[in-house]
Amino acid sequence: MSGSSRRDFLKTSALIGAGITGLSISSAKAAPKNILSENRMGVLVDTTVCIGCRQCEWACKEAHDLPAGNIASYENREVFYNMRRPSENALTVVNQYSAGKGSDLPVDVKVQCMHCDHPACVSACIVGALSKEENGSVIWDTDKCIGCRYCMVACPFQIPAFQYNKALDPKIMKCDFCFERTKEGKLPACVEICPVEALTYGPRTELISIAKDRIKRDPDRYIDHIYGEKEAGGTAWMYLGNQEFAKLDFPEPGDKPAVGVSESIQHGIFAYFVPPVSLYALLGGIMWINKHRKSSDEEEK
Amino acid sequence: MSNDYSSPVLIKHKFLTPGVFVLIVLAVNGLVFLMGRFFFGLGAVTHLNNQYPWGLWIGVDVAAGVALAAGGFTTAALGHVWHKEEYHLIVRPALLTAMLGYTFVAFGVFVDIGRWYFIWHPLIMWNGTSALFEVGICVMIYLTVLYIEFLPIVTERFIGNVNLPGFLSRMNKPVDRLLRVLDRGLSKTMFIFIIAGIVLSTLHQSSLGTLMIVAGYKMHPLWQTPVLPLLFLLSAIAVGFPMVIFESILASRSFGLKPEMHILSKLGSMIAPLLGVYLAFKIGDMFIRKTFVYLSEVNTASVMFTIEVLLGVIIPLRMFLSPKVLKSPGLLFTAASLVVLGVLINRINNFIVAYSPPYSLHSYFPAFGEFSVTIGLIAILILLYRVIVMNFPVISLPGKQKAAQTKYTIKGTK
Amino acid sequence: MMKNILTLILFFALYVSLIAQQSPKKNYSKLNINCKTCHTCDVPTKTDPCLVTCPRDKMTTVYQSADKTPETIVLDQLVNSYGPVYFPHKAHAQMAEMGGGCESCHHHNTSGPILKCSSCHETSRKRGDIGIPDLKAAYHRLCIDCHREWSHNVSCNTCHVPKKDLKNVKDEKAQKKYYSKNYPIILEPSKIVFKTNYEKGNLVTFYHNEHNNKFGLTCTSCHKNESCATCHDLSKNSNTKEKTITVTKSNSDNHKKCSSCHQIENNCSMCHQDKVAEPFNHGKQTGWALNRFHINLSCAACHGEKLPYKKLDTKCISCHKNWNNETFKHSITGLQLNEIHSQLSCEDCHTNNNYSAKTTCNGCHDNYSFPKQVPGKIVGKLN
Repeated sequence: MSGSSRRDFLKTSALIGAGITGLSISSAKAAPKNILSENRMGVLVDTTVCIGCRQCEWACKEAHDLPAGNIASYENREVFYNMRRPSENALTVVNQYSAGKGSDLPVDVKVQCMHCDHPACVSACIVGALSKEENGSVIWDTDKCIGCRYCMVACPFQIPAFQYNKALDPKIMKCDFCFERTKEGKLPACVEICPVEALTYGPRTELISIAKDRIKRDPDRYIDHIYGEKEAGGTAWMYLGNQEFAKLDFPEPGDKPAVGVSESIQHGIFAYFVPPVSLYALLGGIMWINKHRKSSDEEEK
Repeated sequence: MSNDYSSPVLIKHKFLTPGVFVLIVLAVNGLVFLMGRFFFGLGAVTHLNNQYPWGLWIGVDVAAGVALAAGGFTTAALGHVWHKEEYHLIVRPALLTAMLGYTFVAFGVFVDIGRWYFIWHPLIMWNGTSALFEVGICVMIYLTVLYIEFLPIVTERFIGNVNLPGFLSRMNKPVDRLLRVLDRGLSKTMFIFIIAGIVLSTLHQSSLGTLMIVAGYKMHPLWQTPVLPLLFLLSAIAVGFPMVIFESILASRSFGLKPEMHILSKLGSMIAPLLGVYLAFKIGDMFIRKTFVYLSEVNTASVMFTIEVLLGVIIPLRMFLSPKVLKSPGLLFTAASLVVLGVLINRINNFIVAYSPPYSLHSYFPAFGEFSVTIGLIAILILLYRVIVMNFPVISLPGKQKAAQTKYTIKGTK
Repeated sequence: MMKNILTLILFFALYVSLIAQQSPKKNYSKLNINCKTCHTCDVPTKTDPCLVTCPRDKMTTVYQSADKTPETIVLDQLVNSYGPVYFPHKAHAQMAEMGGGCESCHHHNTSGPILKCSSCHETSRKRGDIGIPDLKAAYHRLCIDCHREWSHNVSCNTCHVPKKDLKNVKDEKAQKKYYSKNYPIILEPSKIVFKTNYEKGNLVTFYHNEHNNKFGLTCTSCHKNESCATCHDLSKNSNTKEKTITVTKSNSDNHKKCSSCHQIENNCSMCHQDKVAEPFNHGKQTGWALNRFHINLSCAACHGEKLPYKKLDTKCISCHKNWNNETFKHSITGLQLNEIHSQLSCEDCHTNNNYSAKTTCNGCHDNYSFPKQVPGKIVGKLN
């Protein structure tokens, strides 16, 4: 019996090896769309221009079929007493901070998905429900998502929200850069409604040069930092400000993509399935040797 | 195969005891909240929010569940790959624990994910860059492997013993034949599954550590390290044998049997080096990244880290080094429990305590419903274990041999 | 000799050409101004620099006096859900004199004619040149910063009226009136006490209302480079009677505003006192109390524009030069003379042309005296 099992062992090992190789090839194809296009779009948010009218909040809800209410109710300034975060009911919110240099007016900061160049959520999503599209937007596919919320764990800007209170079909909710609108040639809803054009929509490279130009021309108005140019490996949404961004509650995720370490470990463990297959072979070898020794012991007896 | 070791038998014991009754109450309580989760959504039962997307269920049911089911692959490696026949005695209970543990993990995931009806999606929708995908796929395959590994116990129980009730009794013969075919097939191929099980375990035990790395700066530096996968793997390996000792002694007590001290002591003597390696890496990592500075301030993170390392690693390590502890069932049980507790706290720390998002509008503490479901599921797990060992040959009794059945230990390994 | 002259001419020619070549060459593209300030096209070339029209005499530039600017400008290029904005231009131009002047809105116009906003700012948000804000943004950006400073809100209805609300208001004049509803109230302080560190009198009391109402100063006479909120801040809803300010500015800055009118050399005690000063009282300070007519006059009406004011004669005629028997209406004193008495000459009762002294009836009557006997009818309060 031991002889036959040894032959089986070799046969099946070879089979499994072949199977796993096939697996690795198909898994390479099965990665989600993660395009880093040269012409990807972005938005430059000038926090020194924003007036905190919150019309973007209204427009965003309207564009995404969320209950938006009366636009006049958005003139309520009391919401600024507490910091708010994007949620399943509001994909973007504006927070207010005390004045920075060059002005006595309070500073308003719109918060939404930053649409990273190397999105951690896209890398993390178990089923590849999130994807980075050619126009720069990071979007979410309802049909794939299983609701594991790993994207929320992964996001360095803490953006994705989840409909915890829905028993059926709860969704991950986050800014989709108005993917449907931009596809039709329209501007993102928030950009379109902004009365002071604090949000400038355009190709990311062009926005960076515009931002640099503004800082150069008006060094008293801005601090010399474009938030999002390098943060987390670069984001499609970028900010200009008149004070340190940490004071405006921006996180400091560093300049490296959030996915870097995790992905390299992941690729290290699974480099063409070599480590797992080797481990398999090694264990098989040990098993075979041990068994062989045992059976030869028995034969000697 | 003739051996001096006892063979697994069905345990004969009264099912309902006061302890079991308590477990049933806990299980029912858990199920009630579980219904709440499925009828009204996660928000109705849990304190999870947009700042803390993962809570007790992922930390304990999934992460700690996977770690504590590590007894399965460590004993499989010991018993089958290194061919230490004397340990075959504990392979089956460990296998059963692993099988139930992973079932519990899978069910925990099923409960926790928002769109549970899409739990099968990772099978056909792949994302190679996702650590979670890797964990998910590995756990799924490993769970199947565990069921396959358990199959011989089922065939052993029923071959020549198929007795279907009523009109189904006509099926007795074909079922018996099927079981025999299955048994023969499995006995030739079982080694594939055993090795696959070990490989899969090492993969997902470590990838479970990779999971939180992507959280980056959102995770407390005491735990956030690139070697997290290694630490997870090492701690899983270290907790495997203590878990076997823990449940073996517990099961013996529960059924009024004498613990298999001669095996458990031997097993216990192997724990110290494994724990030592884990501790060395953990402390080494701490010194390389100079994170010990965070221990100087007193907060939840530093206290929990200290408890985890001191109570869960250093004290049991010292205990396992002492021959006195290895010989005493009580002390051995205490030491094993500490390791189990340490790993449990470690997983909770990694997934809940260490996770400190920059904007936490509300802090997270598990809701009563979350505790209820977790405890309820554990209660069900223990009840299932009890049912299975009373109906399938899993636990071996000293001195009681069942000559006819000895052929049907785990197949393909001899 | 001729050779020398020739060499000299040659050198001179060389020198001139050298100078010509060294003529200051500014790299305009690197200047801190927008290209569109001087050029009308996107790509100016040497042959076609497409420069903006140079200033001409009749051209409207940003150096226009505020009072000569248009009263209202209707902004209606972007009318959509709101009606047109009737922008009270002159009022803003006048206020701008206390701030950054016309250039605070008409930027990039420093030398040329005033350009239409839409000549640089495109009307569509979806456009090629996203470096310059679109027209809607440009308008809003100009208005909103000041309006936010004093109103502390960003309500659209401050300037805009929704079209649907305008349906009932057909007439354009009525519309304008509808729009001009939101003038921010000016909360003028009455008294400001400055705490200074001058040891011989640390308190300077400044009566803002007197300077404004009595002394006939306009806002612009003192307020320069100030934000709108200084006067218009809506969050200060109560006009506190007295406010105390601890002086922090430099000595010369502090005195600059006052010294343009007040003689301050060797005259410290005029303003610096140990206690809060009483408001100016003409009777107390000069010994000649102002009657109900005089109190309403500005100082300059009697004392003339020239500073410092000189002491005046208290005789009526020294100011009321045209008063005589025919022109003076006695009823303004509160006493309407009856027919007989109105025939008399002034000196018959007011002896020695002294109108402040007691009148006499002795010229005609025995044992008569005023006000026991009244030569007519009392019509008001007697002075």
